[in-house]
Amino acid sequence: MTQQTQEPEQVPDLVPAEAAAQVGAVVARASGEVIRRDWQRWAVAVGEDNPLWFDTDHARAHGFDDVVAPPLYLQYAVLGVTPLDRLRADGSSGASSGDLAFPDAPRRMAGGESTTFHRYCGHGDVVTMERRVESIVQKQGRSGPFVLVTWRTTYTDQRDELVAEATTSMIARP
Amino acid sequence: MSAGMSTGTSPETTAEQLHFEDVAVGEELPVLEIVVDETQMFFFSAATYNGHRIHYDKEWARDREGYDDVLVQGPLQSALLARAVTDWIGGAGRLVGFSAQNRAVAFPGQTLSFGGRVTGTRVEEGRGLVELEVAGRRGDDVLMPGSATVSLPLRGDAG
Repeated sequence: MTQQTQEPEQVPDLVPAEAAAQVGAVVARASGEVIRRDWQRWAVAVGEDNPLWFDTDHARAHGFDDVVAPPLYLQYAVLGVTPLDRLRADGSSGASSGDLAFPDAPRRMAGGESTTFHRYCGHGDVVTMERRVESIVQKQGRSGPFVLVTWRTTYTDQRDELVAEATTSMIARP
Repeated sequence: MSAGMSTGTSPETTAEQLHFEDVAVGEELPVLEIVVDETQMFFFSAATYNGHRIHYDKEWARDREGYDDVLVQGPLQSALLARAVTDWIGGAGRLVGFSAQNRAVAFPGQTLSFGGRVTGTRVEEGRGLVELEVAGRRGDDVLMPGSATVSLPLRGDAG
């Protein structure tokens, strides 16, 4: 199966036309308010004691108007809610990446995430996330073919200014 | 881990602010060592609205997904990795870029370490930019490789 030959190999096409048609499309858009209590709950769950997230005087002494949200918290500020009876069987909501289906490559794993932060957000900022499918590529790995999906996500604030940009990827295998 | 589950008043940092001039290529960040337990995982799932059973339902994790135990959330690992960086850069430092890949799973009760190494430095528009190679590890196993870019004040700047 993995023999190297000069002849073109018969590789199954793992990317259905419906999925391929989504390249370039916005698959998720959400807005949410950045809320001090919520990011502080997130921060203590991470074991954070960074005073920028908690202490107004400290934040003011370091160039901010008030405490700020940890940069990695941003993605959670835009989360909506999912009625419990609409969760997937595994309890996840699946709302954030659109409904790209790869019936011939059902085993999914998160790839990675890469984010550029243009500024930190504070309490009351309203952030809008927009996620597009950047590419869907079938590749040949050592253990066989797989699909690499890449999303490009932007976060803008209430003044339409870019707060952060992220590239996220996922791998789907047969 | 110095913070408990209490919010609010953290002590003023007594540490000196890190400046760009203090940093050299090859330098290692202080390592953050953490044993994530199920209480911390519960609070992180709650704070991120994450209902995925694999993080709290042991039967599901074992019988349906084939793992030995529930899994520490990947985003918690990346948050801990970012924390190691933002703890190091101090109040006047800024995280401007962060990237991480999920390479292997981690279980509660395991000792995980998060750290990094300076790979590059340059000055741009009056700030010092520092490139870091970062990683979350269990022993010698790299669970989460990544990189980060931080901005540090130059000496002589306010703050």
